[in-house]
Parts: sequence; structure tokens; C-alpha cells
Amino acid sequence: MSVAELKEKHAAATETVNNLRERLKQRRQQLLDTDVAGYARSQGKSPLTFGPTDLLCCRTLQGHTGKVYSLDWTPERNRIVSASQDGRLIVWNALTSQKTHAIKLPCAWVMTCAFSPAGQSVACGGLDSMCSIFNLNSQTDRDGNLPVSKTLSGHKGYVSCCQYVPDEDIHIITSSGDQTCVLWDITTGLRTSVFGGEFQSGHTADVLSVSINGSNSRMFVSGSCDATARLWDSRVASRAVRTFHGHEGDVNTVKFFPDGNRFGTGSDDGTCRLFDIRTGHQLQVYYQQHGDNEVPHVTSIAFSISGRLLFAGYSNGDCYVWDTLLAKVVLNLGSVQNSHEGRITCLGLSADGSALCTGSSDTNLKIWAFGGHRRVI
Amino acid sequence: MQSGRSQSMVGPIPERVQVFQPADSDTRGKHMIRAELKRLEQETRFLEEELEQIERMEMASTACKELLSNVETTPDPLLPITSGPLNLSWDQWFEGPQESRGCRCWIL
Repeated sequence: MSVAELKEKHAAATETVNNLRERLKQRRQQLLDTDVAGYARSQGKSPLTFGPTDLLCCRTLQGHTGKVYSLDWTPERNRIVSASQDGRLIVWNALTSQKTHAIKLPCAWVMTCAFSPAGQSVACGGLDSMCSIFNLNSQTDRDGNLPVSKTLSGHKGYVSCCQYVPDEDIHIITSSGDQTCVLWDITTGLRTSVFGGEFQSGHTADVLSVSINGSNSRMFVSGSCDATARLWDSRVASRAVRTFHGHEGDVNTVKFFPDGNRFGTGSDDGTCRLFDIRTGHQLQVYYQQHGDNEVPHVTSIAFSISGRLLFAGYSNGDCYVWDTLLAKVVLNLGSVQNSHEGRITCLGLSADGSALCTGSSDTNLKIWAFGGHRRVI
Repeated sequence: MQSGRSQSMVGPIPERVQVFQPADSDTRGKHMIRAELKRLEQETRFLEEELEQIERMEMASTACKELLSNVETTPDPLLPITSGPLNLSWDQWFEGPQESRGCRCWIL
């Protein structure tokens, strides 16, 4: 076949794909009989009201000398690992504010960190395109530094996000600027599976975030600069289970909803969205005007343990607390008393849901908990 | 005859280069287009599958109903009103020193 004939086939195939996408979009639209807020209102759900001192900053963790980029809680004992522009990981006891480890990284350009489920090790990754594992129980070297216990190399671009597979310390999933996600076996240091990339259908731009389903750890979602989120089954690397369209800009952050059947996203388009994994439906858009002519990017999100609250950090310093059911902002942690002095770059909920940790460009981490009057029904 | 090429030619070799170069890039171009075409055909199959699935799919309200039920039956320590049971450890953050007087050492 000549180049000209091939180009003709290519143009025809492109048109077919575009037509199919349009048909799918329209068919999906017909199934969107309501969104979450519309349904909740129809059920007479009462809005949440937060007093100005209900969500209190009860700890300020000081010690980093650069912007905090990432944080992660342990599943137990209230410890947090944080990664900073200062080229260090710090492990904190969040209750006492004590630092238990300060790890100087071989590559200072770190973007992400994660705590292992058993709390014995931490992982980090960044512009070195590698994921480094540190065993917290190993002996420090002559200079007092914790040695790297394993290096996971193979990505051809920066490592943007990493998360251990729950309930085991052996597997970790990373997302990368090389447009792929990878499932690693930490024992061998080898890639078990590569999701997307040159020979498989996957993201078509940098992948910025991953989130593993807490209810079914075989499933994970990824968010990308290609404006989509994708759902993956870790046993099937050849193609995504589903691709979620809707955002109009980079999807910077993804997080599974607590019930495991939905997930949230945050994007450069200024919106957070809630998607259903079984049907692919976009169930809700969370957007509120921040000020005149500005659409700040959503940089990080977290759900409260029931999913009723969605915490979203924005590039302009706001940190909206959304009522996910009624799609209303109930509080702005960016402007309460004792809030960060810089923008919030990362968020994470403690394992029992009793505290939210925020990391900021002001170099601090803060712990927030409910300090108001609680009514149990 | 005014021809930039004839002025710069120094014998048959440039002509050979001119014959082979277009063919080489032609082959490379063909490979790329073929690969892209294959990707599009694969994408077509995925989209057709999805269109079939969507015929059997539930409306959004079904998912919303399930979501609402899950949210309302899960105890949440960060809410002013929540379903029980209450867990006493939820208030651990307010027991003991409130503001951080703990470790403030600066790591250098």
C-alpha cells in the first residue's frame, strides 16, 4: 500500500473513531438523568453547616526548609511521611509532633512519597525517574543517612506519584511523565506490569496521579495531562478498563471514594469531578467561582471517611471543603484562623478518618480535626 | 539552465543520495502511519464494545442512590452530625498539648 493510500485509511479511521466517540457521548448524556446534588435535593437532604472553629488546626509540623510536595499517613499509629523541595523525607508522629526520621534523598527533586502498609518502609520518586525505597529500621550510614534499600528504575520520565498496594509491603504502583503507570515487585526491583506506553493503549500524555481502590486493591485509577482519568485492572496491562472524559485540562489528582465504586478527580480546569467506575458516568462536578477572572487549578484532593466531605487544594491558596452530596462549599481551610501561609500542595486523611493533614508551600504540615460539638444519630 | 541543484552537484553521488533519502523516509513514514492506523483500529473496537455495554447500563440516579446510602451509614469523625457508633479515639487530637510544643528542630 502506498503512503497516500495509508494516509487515506488513517483519515477514514480517525473519522470513525470521532463519530463513535460522539455517539458514546450522546448516549451517555441520555443516561445522566440526575447528578448527585440533584438526587440529594430530591431526597430532602439537609445542607451541612460548619462553624468557623469546627475544623481546627490542632498541630503544626515544622521542620522542612522547603515547600512540602507530598504526604502520606500510615494505616496505623498516626505517623506521616512528607517529601519536600528541601530534598528530604521526614517521618512524623502526628500526635506528638515528633520527627522520627529525617531522610536525605540521593536526588533532591522529589515529587511524591508513600508509607508502606506495615509502616516499615517509605517510598519516594521524582525527577530522577526512579522510585527509591527506604527501610526505616535499617542502620544509618556514617553520615547519619538512611541508605536506599531498593531502587526501582525503568521509567523513562519523572515519577509523579507512588502508592503501595494495600495490605502488603511488596508491591507499589507508580505514575510517570513517560505516560505509563507501573506495578513493581519491590523484592526483586522488577516491573511486574506496565500500564500504557508505546505498544499498548493508555494515556497519551504525562500521568500525574494514581489511587488504588481500598475495597478492591486490584483496581486503580490514574489521572493525566491528556485530560482523562483511566481505570485499570492490575492483572490486565494491555488496556484500561475504562477511560473517563469530561475534564478540560490536566487531571492533576485522583482519589478513590471510600465506598470503592466511585473516584474523584481534580484538574487544571478548576473543577473536581466524581465518576462511577461501573458505569463510567460523571456523577457530579464541583466548581465554584473563586474571584473575578480566575480559575485556579485543583492541585490535590481527599475525601473524608464517609465521603460526605471532599477537601480540595487550589493553586491560589484556597482549600475548599465541599459537601459532596449537595455540591456546596462549606468551609475554606485556606482562610480560617491558623491556616497555612502558603498554598496547600497536598492533602491526606488519617486511617481512622479523625484528622486531615495538609502540606504547604510554606514548608509546614498541619493537622486538622473536628473540635466542635458532635451529634451522633 | 538555472538550477541550484546543478550548480552544487559534483558528479553522480548527490543524485544517488537524492534517490535513496526519499525512499528511506518514505518507509519510516509508512511504519509510523501503519502503527497509528493499528492504534485507531484498536480504539474503534474498544469504542464499539463500550457502545454495546452502554445499552445495558443503568441510569446515573441508581449510582447516586447507592452513593447516598453508603455516605449516610458510615460514621465520620469530621462531621458535626454523623451516624454512630462514636469512637473515643476520634478526640485524641485534643487530648494533651493542643498546639505543637513538640520537636521544632530544624534539619540542616
